[in-house]
Amino acid sequence: MHWQAAPVPPKTFPESLVFDLEDVSYTYPGGSEALRGVSMSVAHGEKIALVGQNGSGKTTLAKILCGLISPTRGRIIFDGRPVVREELRHLRRQVGILFQDPDDHLFCQRLLDDVLFGPLNYGVPMDRALETADRMLELVGLKDQALKAPHHLSYGQRKRAALAAILACDPSVLILDEPTANLDAKNTEKLLEVLSGFSGTLLCISHDLLFLYELCRRAVVLQRGALHHDTDFDALIAHRPSLREHGLDFTFRFRCCMDSPAQDTPENPAAAHGHPASLRSTPEGCGASRTPLMELEDYSFRYADGTWGLRRLSFHVHEGERIALLGENGAGKSTLASVLVGIRSGFGTYRFRGEVVRGRLRKDLWRHVGIVFQDSMDQVVSSNVFDEVAFGLKHLGMKGADLRRRVHEALARVGLEGMENRVPHHLSGGEKKRLSLAAVLAMDPQVLILDEPTANLDPENEERLLKILDELRTTLILISHDLCFVSALTDRALVLHQGCLVEDVPTGQFLMDERLQSRYGVDVTYHHRCCRHVLAMQAQWP
Amino acid sequence: MHLSDGVLPTAVAVGSFAVTGLCLALSVKKTNGDDLPKIAVMTSAFFVASLVHVPLGPTSVHLLLPGVVGILTGWSAFVSIFMGLVLQSLLFQFGGLTALGANGLMMGLPAWCAAGIFHYVRGRSAAMEVAGAACASAAAVALASLILAGLLATGGEDFFGVAKIAVIAHLPVVVIEAVIAAFVVSFLRRVKPELLDAPMGWRSV
Amino acid sequence: MTPIVVPWSWIVLGLGGVAGTVLITLGALGLRRRKRHGIESVPAADAEALGALPELDLSETASSVFHRWDPRFKIASLIIFSFVVVSLHFWPPLLLCLGLAAGASAAARTPLRRASRRLGAMSGFLLMLLIVMPVTVPFHEGDRLLLIDGLPILTLNLRGLELAARIATKAVVVALIMEPLLSTCPFSVTLAAVHRLGVPLVLCQMLLLMYRYVFVFRHEVQRMWVGMTVRGFRSRSGWETMASLGSFLGMLFVRSMERTQRVHEAMLCRGYTGAFPTTVRFDAAPRDWAWAAFWITAAGVAFILDRWGSVFRALSPIS
Repeated sequence: MHWQAAPVPPKTFPESLVFDLEDVSYTYPGGSEALRGVSMSVAHGEKIALVGQNGSGKTTLAKILCGLISPTRGRIIFDGRPVVREELRHLRRQVGILFQDPDDHLFCQRLLDDVLFGPLNYGVPMDRALETADRMLELVGLKDQALKAPHHLSYGQRKRAALAAILACDPSVLILDEPTANLDAKNTEKLLEVLSGFSGTLLCISHDLLFLYELCRRAVVLQRGALHHDTDFDALIAHRPSLREHGLDFTFRFRCCMDSPAQDTPENPAAAHGHPASLRSTPEGCGASRTPLMELEDYSFRYADGTWGLRRLSFHVHEGERIALLGENGAGKSTLASVLVGIRSGFGTYRFRGEVVRGRLRKDLWRHVGIVFQDSMDQVVSSNVFDEVAFGLKHLGMKGADLRRRVHEALARVGLEGMENRVPHHLSGGEKKRLSLAAVLAMDPQVLILDEPTANLDPENEERLLKILDELRTTLILISHDLCFVSALTDRALVLHQGCLVEDVPTGQFLMDERLQSRYGVDVTYHHRCCRHVLAMQAQWP
Repeated sequence: MHLSDGVLPTAVAVGSFAVTGLCLALSVKKTNGDDLPKIAVMTSAFFVASLVHVPLGPTSVHLLLPGVVGILTGWSAFVSIFMGLVLQSLLFQFGGLTALGANGLMMGLPAWCAAGIFHYVRGRSAAMEVAGAACASAAAVALASLILAGLLATGGEDFFGVAKIAVIAHLPVVVIEAVIAAFVVSFLRRVKPELLDAPMGWRSV
Repeated sequence: MTPIVVPWSWIVLGLGGVAGTVLITLGALGLRRRKRHGIESVPAADAEALGALPELDLSETASSVFHRWDPRFKIASLIIFSFVVVSLHFWPPLLLCLGLAAGASAAARTPLRRASRRLGAMSGFLLMLLIVMPVTVPFHEGDRLLLIDGLPILTLNLRGLELAARIATKAVVVALIMEPLLSTCPFSVTLAAVHRLGVPLVLCQMLLLMYRYVFVFRHEVQRMWVGMTVRGFRSRSGWETMASLGSFLGMLFVRSMERTQRVHEAMLCRGYTGAFPTTVRFDAAPRDWAWAAFWITAAGVAFILDRWGSVFRALSPIS
């Protein structure tokens, strides 16, 4: 059993190696080279962060390590024996991998069956397998959901369920691919708690260096398929130049940490106004006299299955305002967004520019309100970048030279000029995100809604996105768990909790109030703690 | 159009179960054993795709997609289509339980036919491939309507009229499915051409 | 036999009456719904434009004879019953089965909504038969015809109507059986039972996997659909819509292919070697046998009445 209640030091033979890779290369059948001559060794019980830009070969390496693909060149030694085709089963038995999307792991009808799947396949008798499954579900806090179907669970719950299903196989090596993508603070905390109790070898692929900070002791950096650094994790994050080189420099995030009460000047109200958002001129004072741009009055929404998504919301949005929509996974943020763009409609009054939204206006609301989804693939429907941006413009009735000009302008705005003929599906994660933003910006909406824009982006792309968004002049509604973005971009925070609007405060005030944050599951104290450590370490470098 | 329970003479219903069983066995045999779970997951995507309604004048038709399924899954198309129909019958009651064998034949054989036609044009010029996909899909739907008519006609001359009307009702669907298949294939050619080699279907040698 | 002649005005009145009744019923239902919600406007959930996916699972609270019946016996008996039903030729045994099926549906505590959804799904096809068959069935000696005064082209053959009605009744009987058959135990248990009855394991497992991923893909499709809608896409007849739909489906297939690959890898990593472990155990009790005997006897009685019951043959409308 590799599970322990508390973190323990690495196993008895620190010098014994789990993996020994010699000059491993992998070329995809299509001819693209994903890994080039990677040599590294991994000792029992090591906690390794596998980092690098989007497309640097991290996932390929992970797949090789768990025996899903065999390297085209090079040698792998696992547990002292070279890995050959016949040994793959043994390798897979020992190595567990958690993909990004938990739905890939949950293929049974009930959670319990999914957790039992591994142990039963490995011939564990039923009663012992049940016992293990029980323990694992307890561990991730899903014991009372054991008999539910996966599609009845929230994203965070499914993620934890997938982890339980893998841990139930009792792997000695655990590989995680972007474990924190799209998770809220509460679920991330839970994940961290579970992982820090895992005593086997851990390899974690993530862009979220702050998450890795407490988990990993060693960092392996890949760049274009080659092993670029293999060092102490602390040394890597303390060294800004090498972070920058790999697109991993997340220090832009510290700006918001500096402003927050977690820093040493909690009483100083000026701190809350120190962030860039307040430097912009916002029409706060004059807003009250004009008609609000959007206005919800006593608005509720109920899903077809009878559960309430939104309950009696009332608020105004004035032109030019920048608003953050905060709350836990499942608090109703995305539902509210879909109401605001007119996809859903519930009970109550919704006015847009003073007019009640119904019938024709609701159908035409897309002309005024743009939305960028969390998963940019949900928005990409064309086979080249040009058509993708032109998709909305064509529906606006634009043609010919005018259309081309607008498309080029939009692409230039997000730094994708010259990519008109590329296939959107082949772009990197960051480029896709910017493309879906361009497709919406091209339509020149009065209101722009962004749903979790930073999900799955590496720090370099995050910083770039932040810059693009900061230059926009439209009314902005930002849904995010990422308080750095929230503080940098918004002036006002709306907090949703179980479908109700519980707070409507200036962003600065929200960020200063840790009590508020922890109450509604948008806790950032863990991040703050890490930020302070990292800053202290970086200060030691010139 | 899926046959409901009680339309076909029992002997025909049972007989088509037998033929479908043989075709299923062939389809499974021609698929790599490892690939069956993959076919299942792909079939869920086809299933969901067939829920999409295409507007047609005042009404709308839902997509049948035998051509596209054939093009994408090759020999496995029959098992894919059949499983899709089973789920459709169990979930929605589109197509009766006792008519599953007949419905399977009616959609599965055309899918194979489309797979064959597309396999023939695969690897030629872009225009040829797209046109080939359209033809394959059109032929598949047309064949499906003919099989449907044939099955109905086994009920005796009382059903000849219904059979004729069923064929006529499929004509606009033939056009729609051909156009959709052409667009799907031209999209896939650009984005993920390896999908068009029926990666799971044709047994890799 | 002489044809029955009906003035065309009767037909118009009749059709108008039927249409009126349907409209009034729908209106009343709608009003009741609004009242229950207590709110004036009914939300139009455009995001659910693709139609809901029903689920085949038992509701945790319900319990009935069908819930307690061993699924192997339940499936075998009800499928035999269905095949017997579709091979019936005469009304009396058919109506007997209809009563039995309705009784089963009630005994299994089938929610009215689910039963009516199944019946509704067939209504298009059956309505087509009901309209087409009276017009197209060839005239035989002894058929009753319905002539419409003033419209000499439209001659309705009542034998066709009767034939179509009989088919519709059979379809209804089998559809009524489906809910007690499928919704009284979890789908995985149903499929395990189907496997025990001789269906190859691979097919059962494929169906289980499909049943899981249909929900995942439906969410994906829904998000993509909304993504197009918020950029002005509206489904209309025409080239533009077809082009968008083609790309949309292409994108769906690309994404699902990638997911397929990942799911397969996730399965391999958890020791999959070609078979799902079964966690289902069955235990037959005498009660299970008794219920199976009841259904098969009922089917047998219906069949014997149908084939050899000359007494009933005399009662049936055609001889």
